[in-house]
Amino acid sequence: MFQAANSQPPLRIPSNIAWTDDTITAASSGDVVRGLVIARRCMRCHGQEGFSSDPLVPNLAAMDKLAMWKELNDFRDGKRKSPLMQTVAAELEPRDYADLAAYYAMLPTYPDSQDPRSFPQPPPPSAHTAEAARLISGGDGQRGIPPCQACHGPIGHKNGAPSLITQNGRYIQEELEEFSKGNRANDINMPMRTIASLLSEDEKQGVAAYYGAGLGNLPAGASAMGK
Amino acid sequence: MKSAKVQFIVGILAFTFVWLWIRFPYEMLDGIEKILGHSNQVDPQTLHLQGEFVESNLGTAVQPDGSVTVRLIAQQFNFVPACVMVPVGRKVRFRLTSADVVHRFTIDGTDQALEVVPGHISESDFQFNSPGEHKTPCHEFCGAGHYDMRSRVVVVDAAQFPKVGPEERLNCVSR
Repeated sequence: MFQAANSQPPLRIPSNIAWTDDTITAASSGDVVRGLVIARRCMRCHGQEGFSSDPLVPNLAAMDKLAMWKELNDFRDGKRKSPLMQTVAAELEPRDYADLAAYYAMLPTYPDSQDPRSFPQPPPPSAHTAEAARLISGGDGQRGIPPCQACHGPIGHKNGAPSLITQNGRYIQEELEEFSKGNRANDINMPMRTIASLLSEDEKQGVAAYYGAGLGNLPAGASAMGK
Repeated sequence: MKSAKVQFIVGILAFTFVWLWIRFPYEMLDGIEKILGHSNQVDPQTLHLQGEFVESNLGTAVQPDGSVTVRLIAQQFNFVPACVMVPVGRKVRFRLTSADVVHRFTIDGTDQALEVVPGHISESDFQFNSPGEHKTPCHEFCGAGHYDMRSRVVVVDAAQFPKVGPEERLNCVSR
């Protein structure tokens, strides 16, 4: 009942963002037009329509407002490391983050043959497709891996969890690698670090390629590859 | 020399104090915990920013008396840290809180089933008598990933249990 006074290890904070009513309101209340004006500089890397031509650079079209707002804050605070993005986030004003989030959230994700985008990539070999589909929509209870869709949509949603439906596969794979090594550590209460370190290398690659082929929305067993 | 009146008042106060402890022991202890700052209440939205359940404080801690405290956060959809290590034959105190909704932390092969409610710290003492590995499924429906929500407790012999300093926290999550 009386908790003995424990010395605590050095404090490690993954992100300065907490999902309170105030922060959710702040992240959701940006100005779309102002976001468009600011986003002109983002288009250099993230594409004219929010789809990047570089498979390692994330697509931002239809990105969740909360996720984008948090990641920009984390870049600015140094909680997420990227020499380029940390500089970009520091050069913007904090109020710009909500405006950018509002703008990118509204971008459509339908195909555009004129746009030099990396997404979607060809689907992975069919041998890996079933395994990836199972993890994405069903998880693996034996290892304690929840389905990706339970937090990233569509079967469930967690604040700050970005949609992966139209995300570049190579980028997803890179982030899973970084989470599993602990190099990326801005996930609040460690869900992604936990899950990524439970996945094998093949599974990380398979799941990422599945999403990168535009299949992440499908329920298990309904792969575009057929049986 | 105290007057009879003062003695009488002191006597009433002492009697009341003793009576309160006999009649309401848990409330009195709760009150003392609150005064000392050991409240059982937490803010689930800011667990990662301050307090007992910051991520650097999670996992197994060894108390000065050799007993072990294991701190975990229950969240949609894992218990973190996902693997905790405890020694055989020593008292293990599990302390959990939830970052979101109600979960139930259960340890396969034991009678441990701890309801974990956001805003509160749940605590349970247990002693493992043999080495082994126990899965810890969640037994309170908590959302789409509930059926896959499971972590592990690894019980090791005292000889294999690492020396843990007062400012260290132990877990067996592999990176």
